[in-house]
Amino acid sequence: MRKIETEVLVIGGGATGTGVVYDLAQRGFKSVLVEKRDLTHGTTGRYHGLLHSGGRYVVKDPKAATECIEENIILRKIMPHCLEDTSGFFVCTPWDDPSFGDKFMQGCRDTSVPCEEISVAQMLREEPHLNPQISRCFRVPDGSADSFLATQVVAEGARQYNAQILTYHELKTLIREGDRITGAICHDLVKDEDVTILADMVVNASGAWAGKIAHTGGVEVNVQAGKGTMVALSYRVINTVVNRCKMPSDGDIIVPIHTVSVIGTTDEGVPDPEHFAIEPWEVKLMLEEADKLVPGFSEMRMLRAWAGVRPLYQETKVADTRDVTRAYTLLDHETRDGLQGFITITGGKWTTFRQMAQVTADRVCEKLNTERECRTHLELLPHPFEPGHNKTYHTLGARLARTEQQKGFGQLICECEMATRSDIERAINEGEAKTLDDIRRDVRLGMGPCQGGFCTLRAIGIWHQLHQLPIEEANVALRDFLQERWKGLLPILWGAQLKQERLDELIYLTVLNADHLPGEKASRLGPKMYEKGTVEHNPDAKT
Amino acid sequence: MSTKNDVLVVGAGLAGLTAVWQLATQQKKARLVSKGWGATHWHSGCIDVLGYYPIDESQPVESPGVTLAKLIADQPEHPYALVGVAGVEEALTMFQTLCAEAGYPLHGSLDKNWLLPSAVGTFRPTCLAPETMIAGDLRRDDPMLIVGIKQLVDFYPNIVAENLVKQGVEAAHLMLDMPKLAQRNFNTPVSIGSMMEQPSFRSDLVRFIKPKLGKAKRVGLPAVLGRYPSLTIKNDLEKQLGVPVFEIPGLPPSLPGLRLHAILLQAIERAGGRVYHGLEGVGIESEEGMVTAVFTEAAGRPKPHRFARYVVATGGILGGGIVTRQDGSAHELVFDLPVALPESRQDWFEQDFMDAKGHPVYRAGLTVNAQFQPVNGGSQPVYGNVYAAGTTLGHSEVIRERSFEGVALATGFAVGNLLAQ
Repeated sequence: MRKIETEVLVIGGGATGTGVVYDLAQRGFKSVLVEKRDLTHGTTGRYHGLLHSGGRYVVKDPKAATECIEENIILRKIMPHCLEDTSGFFVCTPWDDPSFGDKFMQGCRDTSVPCEEISVAQMLREEPHLNPQISRCFRVPDGSADSFLATQVVAEGARQYNAQILTYHELKTLIREGDRITGAICHDLVKDEDVTILADMVVNASGAWAGKIAHTGGVEVNVQAGKGTMVALSYRVINTVVNRCKMPSDGDIIVPIHTVSVIGTTDEGVPDPEHFAIEPWEVKLMLEEADKLVPGFSEMRMLRAWAGVRPLYQETKVADTRDVTRAYTLLDHETRDGLQGFITITGGKWTTFRQMAQVTADRVCEKLNTERECRTHLELLPHPFEPGHNKTYHTLGARLARTEQQKGFGQLICECEMATRSDIERAINEGEAKTLDDIRRDVRLGMGPCQGGFCTLRAIGIWHQLHQLPIEEANVALRDFLQERWKGLLPILWGAQLKQERLDELIYLTVLNADHLPGEKASRLGPKMYEKGTVEHNPDAKT
Repeated sequence: MSTKNDVLVVGAGLAGLTAVWQLATQQKKARLVSKGWGATHWHSGCIDVLGYYPIDESQPVESPGVTLAKLIADQPEHPYALVGVAGVEEALTMFQTLCAEAGYPLHGSLDKNWLLPSAVGTFRPTCLAPETMIAGDLRRDDPMLIVGIKQLVDFYPNIVAENLVKQGVEAAHLMLDMPKLAQRNFNTPVSIGSMMEQPSFRSDLVRFIKPKLGKAKRVGLPAVLGRYPSLTIKNDLEKQLGVPVFEIPGLPPSLPGLRLHAILLQAIERAGGRVYHGLEGVGIESEEGMVTAVFTEAAGRPKPHRFARYVVATGGILGGGIVTRQDGSAHELVFDLPVALPESRQDWFEQDFMDAKGHPVYRAGLTVNAQFQPVNGGSQPVYGNVYAAGTTLGHSEVIRERSFEGVALATGFAVGNLLAQ
């Protein structure tokens, strides 16, 4: 069996785990990260992309609000290229209590979240598609974040400090010797072999999976999985993050990100972070709520739906997961369970990942009896795919401008997202892509309206050519990616998007006959489908 | 002024164009209005009649004629059942004659499907194929060289060749870097198609390919052999290379599809029929069970088109004639005719994109009586003077069956002839 020895092993390739391994590597620890699929395959890659100002929590969870605004300011400095400076509105619609606005203002003052009330006329000048019946509007420094890119960026930072990032390494079990965790046995999904990783310290940063991981080491961590469903509209109907000014609830935010607008989210406890459905009622509810902010939203073309699972930590069970704190939790299993060499970091949200990593790395230092300062809030992170492009905020027109400048229209592989041949080639060569879906996360391949209709064949062709991929692997990778796109389309297929899917069928079945390609129909690296949604009506709705 | 025999066809896909072509050549006054161009610009430019049956059968249909008879017996609601094998055959023969006269022969018959290489190197069954494609016949065992052009991002010869080799076909591949294309900002199958019309571009191509021929006895190229004079281009390439040349259709826009579209348009105009693009049907006016006008979108107000009879050939979910909604309903857009489909959205789809039996929603479409008149249960027509043709008809899965063009052509032909009587 392959064996790796390191100082610290981090489990989980989401924002938190990647942040932890970056912080540790920067402090000079020899570190290894394992992730069972690609980076951001879990919750990090399945959220709406909000850079919180903290506004959402000022009334309900002031501690979380303060953490958010502190980190908001830091992230703008260290990774502007992963963010869009959209700013955000909190608006009172006719369905909301206008007096909540006063509580909101007070909350912002108490938590140091910058906030100003603007006139509805001003709001409509900036965002003419918003509901003209909105009565109050508050501006906060929300933004939108590309969590795929951000995590790649942090991982690249970690690699520059010699950390080892092992994707497609699924943890089978922690290795426990008496009262100490000494490492883990992982399965390399690509090579289909086991790997032993020995470490002085193991950090469990696996989000909603933290309970499952800890269980293999013989300790119980109660992390609830709170499913959140989101729907992306095929257009950017707003350029500002828009929140409902009320207590957090289902469908209370629309985030403009890249070429789309995302309405989120629901919050449903699910027993297992791996197996859940996007229910028809969730999609329906999201669109009804979106209509209250942007009238006509539900009649427009939907692009895709997805669901992620929030990790919500608690020591005792509560019924409604929305009442669990969004602030994060660090569990020192030595003091909590008498188990050495193992800590768990869970909870939190994307915006606070750096702070969570800092706190975790501080604890690792303490455990290993060494004092090393955190510097992650000081250093500008690199851009792994476009060197030098890490000093300014991302803007919507950036890719178009770049394509025009390079006269690269002829080499566009994904026209929807303006990803060029050189983008794809770089993602293949430098991004260590194992599937087309990995390339997608790096360069947004197949994320636009046609959902892979045109670019799947092209990307496979380039990859096959570049890497001399065995033909059966190319064939199954093509099918895996089409299936992966299908996965997120199923919940929203009607109208124009259904027509688009039928065109994709015409291309891949009638013209290319790709359903009769030699080889396997799906690979072990292929997508795991959501369960089939069956619930048409909101079970929580009051009748 | 319209007369009793005037027909308005809505939709400019293969079905609508074929219907108008038949009407016009039989001296009927016929007009076609459409929102835009039809699916001819997307498909392979071949006429698939029946490629797989039953649809989840992994082996292609050997003889579409024989299997068609079985399909008609099994599925009395299938559009082919309205036409019959003889009707399909007549439509194919007439269309072949039309194309041959236009200098672009389609080869094949209901007796035997072609097996032609697809752009991913699978064996694609089809009934009629243009002369530009048939040298790719996979029943012949001459070794082939598959040639791509680096500047065309839609075609990867190594994938085609390696998959063919995997399935026992002798095939090599070659990717060309064409300096003339590299100077251009933008290359699509259509723009490369027009470059191909220049003899100097073809000489360049030949100069690059010839030394790499090896033991290849035929050469496969992406389907870019000119927009219209494609046989001339093919013959010229063959003469210069000394081996047969064939096209392989790929991602849209499809030049072979555009050629069929152009042939039909010319035939219609020659015979005095009229085709108007850019007129989207948006509704109707009716009186006592008869449609009295179809309205198209125009500046200021909808424009009425008053005809004696109307043909709906606007396509299904793909063509845009049938629109689905989140609430699980489906609507025929111009006449608001009843659409048959699974009641709940939950039953619309299977879990696999490439499910062998297909997603039930795509069987959505109109139900018609023996005279192609849309009905609402039973055999009584919804309107006494409305007829339907093409993939706007339900009860079939034309993509999985590989019958998309066949259904369009055969039903368009049948309705055209029915109304010409």
